[in-house]
Amino acid sequence: MRHVIAFAEHKSGHTRKVTYELASEAARLAPSLGGKAHAIAVGPGASTLAEQLRNYALETIQVNDDADVDRYLIDPMVDYLEVVARSIGPSVILLPNTMLGRDLAGSISARLGAGLTSDVIEFRMNDGALECVAPKLGGTAVTGCGFKNAEYGVVTVRPNAFSAEQGAGAAQVVTIEKPAGKTYALTIEQEVEEASGELGLEEAPVVVSGGRGLGGPEPFETLLRPLAEALGGAVGASRAAADAGWVPYSLQIGQTGKIVSPPLYIAVGISGAIQHKVGMQSAGTIVAINRDSGVPIAEFADLLVVGDLFAIVPELTGLVAGAKAHA
Amino acid sequence: MKIVATVKLVPDANAPRRIDPQSKRLARSGDTVINPFDEYAIEAALQLKGRLAAAGESSTVTIFTMYPERGKEVVRKALAMGADHAVMLSDAALEGSDVWATAYAIAQGLKKIGFDLIVTGGLADDGNTGGVPCAIAEHLGVPSLTNVRKVESATEGKIRAQRETDSGYQVVSGPLPVLISVTMAVGEPRYASLKGIMGAKKKPIDLLTLADLQLPTAVGTDGAKTHVFEVGAPKGREKARVIEAADGATGARAIFEFLREKKLI
Repeated sequence: MRHVIAFAEHKSGHTRKVTYELASEAARLAPSLGGKAHAIAVGPGASTLAEQLRNYALETIQVNDDADVDRYLIDPMVDYLEVVARSIGPSVILLPNTMLGRDLAGSISARLGAGLTSDVIEFRMNDGALECVAPKLGGTAVTGCGFKNAEYGVVTVRPNAFSAEQGAGAAQVVTIEKPAGKTYALTIEQEVEEASGELGLEEAPVVVSGGRGLGGPEPFETLLRPLAEALGGAVGASRAAADAGWVPYSLQIGQTGKIVSPPLYIAVGISGAIQHKVGMQSAGTIVAINRDSGVPIAEFADLLVVGDLFAIVPELTGLVAGAKAHA
Repeated sequence: MKIVATVKLVPDANAPRRIDPQSKRLARSGDTVINPFDEYAIEAALQLKGRLAAAGESSTVTIFTMYPERGKEVVRKALAMGADHAVMLSDAALEGSDVWATAYAIAQGLKKIGFDLIVTGGLADDGNTGGVPCAIAEHLGVPSLTNVRKVESATEGKIRAQRETDSGYQVVSGPLPVLISVTMAVGEPRYASLKGIMGAKKKPIDLLTLADLQLPTAVGTDGAKTHVFEVGAPKGREKARVIEAADGATGARAIFEFLREKKLI
């Protein structure tokens, strides 16, 4: 494998920071593999996104605004990805470790007969070979993994693990030819937004999570969401909160939920049992607010403020919003 | 209708887990359990069977797993929950399979036993790759419908389901056969009743070996497309700086100053 292909996940041309992290990392990796960096974006809005991606040091940005991508479940995307991978030749394909990225990674790795390494937080070069570093077992171990000289390698990359840096880009925007003779089985009949404008939990730079200490569903909206918004982040929850029906399971962080590693994690009314810890212990900075100083989270948070969360959170939101207003 | 729930047997997360420094693989000592995510797949399969039965349609739920024969008693727990039958793909030559080899071998096993609907969990509790369900579907040439929170209907060769997205959900429909992965929103996995436990003793658990599959390609360590060459401990975290806040303003100020100091604001 020589080249690097970064997959740009987006909705109608709107994307998130992880896309730029992938494009930047592709540009950084390609020279050491002796190849070029490329990006792919498909579906309505792809061409708009391509203009943004031109700020990165890429050789080509391959696009197709095909409406079928939004009409059917992932199959059209897999087909486009395959076309691009085969036309570029032996390469490493970088996908975000998100709901969509994981699905695509499984499908495209099987289709290309490629190895798959997931949730990668660092790449290293060793004697011309690419090595992937990834946490396993809920962060209790870190593994180094390589590809056995296969033509293609597929990697899902943890959001917030790599920096996004613009580069001297003169990327050519190329239209991918639509694969002929394909029919798609799974039709998206309806798209329902339950939390519109919600930042993907796994990609958010700040996660404000609530647990049992919140006592009900309301404080998630009245306390946590304003703080998360002031910090430019997303709201998460512990399993206790999801089990109680206070928030949907899609917000649950931990062993049976999502794994996040934002630069800042604020745990509000969460004790920090192992179940939760495995989902967030690799966050950059962890701040906890709890009324009990003896909670397990005291063992691994950076700061624990012992006090009344209902009094502290609104004050904190005010301070953060005030600081933003003066910035 | 033939419903197959594919499950993974994993070390109990509540027991200490480690990666063997020699083999670079998960040391599977201690208790083995059904991957917690896959219990939801079994639950979803049994719910569907129940609904089909109420509508007068017969169906079977088969548990499929790739694991050495010693996992038989763990598989029996899934039968006690109400599944009809289990198939274990067991072969020493499967040891060391990576995502590609695992998905490939499982797909060939599923092809052998036949299915109308495959139900899986979303992630594995140990490897946490998440790519296996879609890789199995791709090897089988069937579509994958992931992150399902509710199967609205699956009958007469068609499926309609709600799947979770980052910002809500989608309603998706298409023809069977299909592979679905389910989320915890399908409902808490049921407990096995005493009757279920007794009945499970008589339910068949068939063993499938690689000789039964006659694969043209190597699996296990030889077929793997990736290799793990290094295992280490992550950098540990220190104990928290603890501040007692007498009132909201004091607590908020302490956090605000801390975030400033860390340049997070």
